[in-house]
Amino acid sequence: MGHEELFEQLKQAIIDQDQDAVMSSVNAALDAGVEPKTIIDQGLLPGLNVIGEQFECEDIFLPELMQSALAFQAAMAVLEPKIKESGNAGPKKGKIVLGTVKGDLHSIGKNILKLLFETSGFEVWDLGIDVDLFKFVDKANEVDADVIAMSALLTTTLVGQRDVIEALKGQGTRDKYKIIIGGGATTQAWADTIGADGWAGTAYEAVNLATKLVS
Amino acid sequence: MIDLVEVFERAEIGPLTSETDYYMKRFVPKLSEIIARHGIKWDKNTIINTDDDLTDRVFQAAVDLLAEAGAYCPETNRVMEFTRDEILLACGQCPTATTFGEGRERNVMRGRRPDTTDDRPWVHVGGGIYTTDEQVFMDTVEKMASFNIVNSVSVPSILHLRGKDSRVRSPQEVLAACKTVRLAREGIRRSGRAGLPIINGISAASQPASMFAASYPDFGLRPSDGFLIDFLSELVVGYEALQKVAFYNSLSANVGSTSTPLFGGYAGGAEGVAVTATCYMIMGNLIFRGSYHYNAPLHSKLHLSSTRPLIWAIAMSNAAIGRNMGYPMVNLPYLGGGSGTKQYHYEMACYLLAVVTSGGNVFSGHPAMAVQSDSLIPDDHKFHGEIGLAVSNLTRAEAEPLAQKLYPLFGDKLKDPDKGLTFQEVYDPATKAIVNDDFRRAQDEVRSELAAMGLEVPVS
Repeated sequence: MGHEELFEQLKQAIIDQDQDAVMSSVNAALDAGVEPKTIIDQGLLPGLNVIGEQFECEDIFLPELMQSALAFQAAMAVLEPKIKESGNAGPKKGKIVLGTVKGDLHSIGKNILKLLFETSGFEVWDLGIDVDLFKFVDKANEVDADVIAMSALLTTTLVGQRDVIEALKGQGTRDKYKIIIGGGATTQAWADTIGADGWAGTAYEAVNLATKLVS
Repeated sequence: MIDLVEVFERAEIGPLTSETDYYMKRFVPKLSEIIARHGIKWDKNTIINTDDDLTDRVFQAAVDLLAEAGAYCPETNRVMEFTRDEILLACGQCPTATTFGEGRERNVMRGRRPDTTDDRPWVHVGGGIYTTDEQVFMDTVEKMASFNIVNSVSVPSILHLRGKDSRVRSPQEVLAACKTVRLAREGIRRSGRAGLPIINGISAASQPASMFAASYPDFGLRPSDGFLIDFLSELVVGYEALQKVAFYNSLSANVGSTSTPLFGGYAGGAEGVAVTATCYMIMGNLIFRGSYHYNAPLHSKLHLSSTRPLIWAIAMSNAAIGRNMGYPMVNLPYLGGGSGTKQYHYEMACYLLAVVTSGGNVFSGHPAMAVQSDSLIPDDHKFHGEIGLAVSNLTRAEAEPLAQKLYPLFGDKLKDPDKGLTFQEVYDPATKAIVNDDFRRAQDEVRSELAAMGLEVPVS
């Protein structure tokens, strides 16, 4: 089987959310001597791009997205150590710290965002829900993040996003990070008011926004 | 039915699992398997289902989902498990009628069966809208309560305290909740209908302390009002909710079990939302001891509930419960179009055609995409109550062709809806009379268009 055919199989396995087929194609490609980085770039990522588009068009939903992401993560668990061994590890798109702000217990939108960031080539630290503002600040500092992404669904929790920015300003580190916000209660006007670098109405828009901001 | 202490105990003794594993190893695969097992499929050309066999399979699927996936308690990281027998026993013993209000406003909300054309549904008005000004708040509540077709009201969701928002879990949230309740009751008294029930006097998103504080009788709420307690999506039963369940059940108050299954989230598409929404209503009775259910499925990206698959799913969940449990239900419509716009009225009419003929009661909704402060306009809600009552004379089969005619009038505009009006733009501040011709014209035109389609909507 030629390399092109292998890549096509791998892409289709990701689209089909078939973890067994993904692993089988990854192993076949490695056995055929294909570089791990090439397997990612020409097999896995094109499959994820299709999945992302299908998700955006509502042809598939979160469960299918998660299955594809799990298959992708399983493949990466095999490929990443080999890339590191070879010393050819390319840089990630960027480092993102994300979470739902203090007082807000909603997780689904944030979970979708995490998946899309991960499968788009970002390194992600998910702080979860109801996140204390200084956890955002400390984690971003610890991992030298490029982007802090904060979600808020409730109007009464919006101020949590403002507070993180205020805390960063207080520490003199605001300009180290790009800050993006989203969630049901947020708007572009609120992002402007609190001095965020961007607002996204959907998880897909957030990935595009973060990509633009870190490029 | 197993008692409440036993229900709470299930959150302490169920299998330990992480939230991710709950979703990936239980909820998501089970839901998918159960949908296939029962052959549940949305015909994309349909808005209102009329297939009773499919409806009953959705109910069975919802029972299976709770029996096989369980609910998840994040505080204990345990799955709350219930046997099929326990679930079915609770379904058989659920309330089918709930009494609200006091004095001559005391009235009964009933669980309705689909295609019931000879009973008057409950009319609830006033989905929660952010309101900034105390005077607007009072005027809004008074005006809504004064409409004679109205059986209960919701009140605007947040009041500023000295011009500022109150943050969740803050002492200001407690003060705002108490103040909201006091003003809401006063607004209702001013309408001359002091006994009228308030169904969401305190936002379900409030912390337990705020809800309990605002329930202090001197502030004006009574057990015969409605108290919303919400599940978190999907099938998450948090301690805060269970604390509220413990408190309001101890008061013998009317508990509105509340759920917002997300289209595009873990529940997936139309079929998954229909099954999950139905499952929540079963859980509302079993776990929350609800007196009625407040069903509010939502699109995860558009943040509204008036898309074609969502209307189908919401109506389906009403029909499934109406045929198999009889639990009283209201459905909160989140609409795209702004207040006072024709788009808003088209969406509301289509939604009511689906849910009221499927067994739901009448509930006027609110803008979700074109939302802005002070955009709860009482006369919109009166009009929507009138539409709901007109629709209650139809069967699902009669309603479906009307819904099909209405959907094209707004379906393509949901992503970029028409902007609407505010209270101040519609009413004269002194007399509270409607002074906006565009507002009046939009209603008149939609009323005429509905009549031309065969749905006469009498002015109440």
